[in-house]
Amino acid sequence: MTAQPRTLELPTEFREAMQQLSAAAKRGLGDPVLAELVMIRASQLNRCAFCLDMHLTVARKAGESEARLDLLSAWEESTGTYTDRERAALALTEAVTVLTEGFVPDEVYADAAAHFDEHGLAHLIALITTINSWNRLMVARRIQPGGPAWT
Amino acid sequence: MTHEHSDGYVPEHTPRMEWAKLAPEVYKAMLQLEKATRQGTDPGLYELVKIRASQLNHCAFCLDMHTKDALAQGESVERIIQLSAWEESRHFYTRRELAALELTEAITVLTEGFVPDEVYERAAAEFEEAELAHLIAAITTINAWNRFGVSTRMVPGHYKPAAQGNAS
Repeated sequence: MTAQPRTLELPTEFREAMQQLSAAAKRGLGDPVLAELVMIRASQLNRCAFCLDMHLTVARKAGESEARLDLLSAWEESTGTYTDRERAALALTEAVTVLTEGFVPDEVYADAAAHFDEHGLAHLIALITTINSWNRLMVARRIQPGGPAWT
Repeated sequence: MTHEHSDGYVPEHTPRMEWAKLAPEVYKAMLQLEKATRQGTDPGLYELVKIRASQLNHCAFCLDMHTKDALAQGESVERIIQLSAWEESRHFYTRRELAALELTEAITVLTEGFVPDEVYERAAAEFEEAELAHLIAAITTINAWNRFGVSTRMVPGHYKPAAQGNAS
């Protein structure tokens, strides 16, 4: 079965605000390698084909290893592949992405707070929120993967 | 509302962090997002969408805010109460509202699978393209507020609506 494309442009001011949100979250986190891992993991959970294509391409071009990309959906079982800081961020990503199954557990938050200062943690939450927003905008409008050559 | 322990209520929790102060540029962008969304969305419908998404995402602070805003705008108590069972109380809502609520659920619960063609088509039949784009923007925006609200555990009970509910 072929997914029928939908054609719907985002309102201009809304799109610009989304871009500001992305830029502010990434700048505040200040860790592009971690940012891509977070954005890929959220896009897996939200099944955003466009977003996966984009962020996997960007991560590869930035030199991320195939093993770390391949194992991302099983990061909990992939000891030694990710740092404790990355694991804390990935656990938080999952909790904040899957809100419909219930809240953000204290232990997940506490573990993230042990690896990030408040400023970093606020921006990590912002980045998780931002990629969740892009995921929604792309899935809802069924934007197809394989778009522009990501730089 | 704040309760004394002697009332038998558990004490109020505190927020985990003041995210808007820690990330002011992010907060500013969120306000821009909200403003851009509001410009093209019917206010009454927007509150219904916000309440339903906040129910699905379990955001207590957001429910406090948006139920109060909806009431302040003249929304009926019945329509707010029935919102979490709208599929069984369809005659409380217009076709347009039902299509928007259905789309809200699909876009909010992405982890359980995409946005079905029939849901999208029903929304596209009720909303013109520009309206539909704003509706998708609205659903995305409340989902974003929900994530900040839940992850930083913002405290419900203190929100006071403006006369014409113009807060985020």
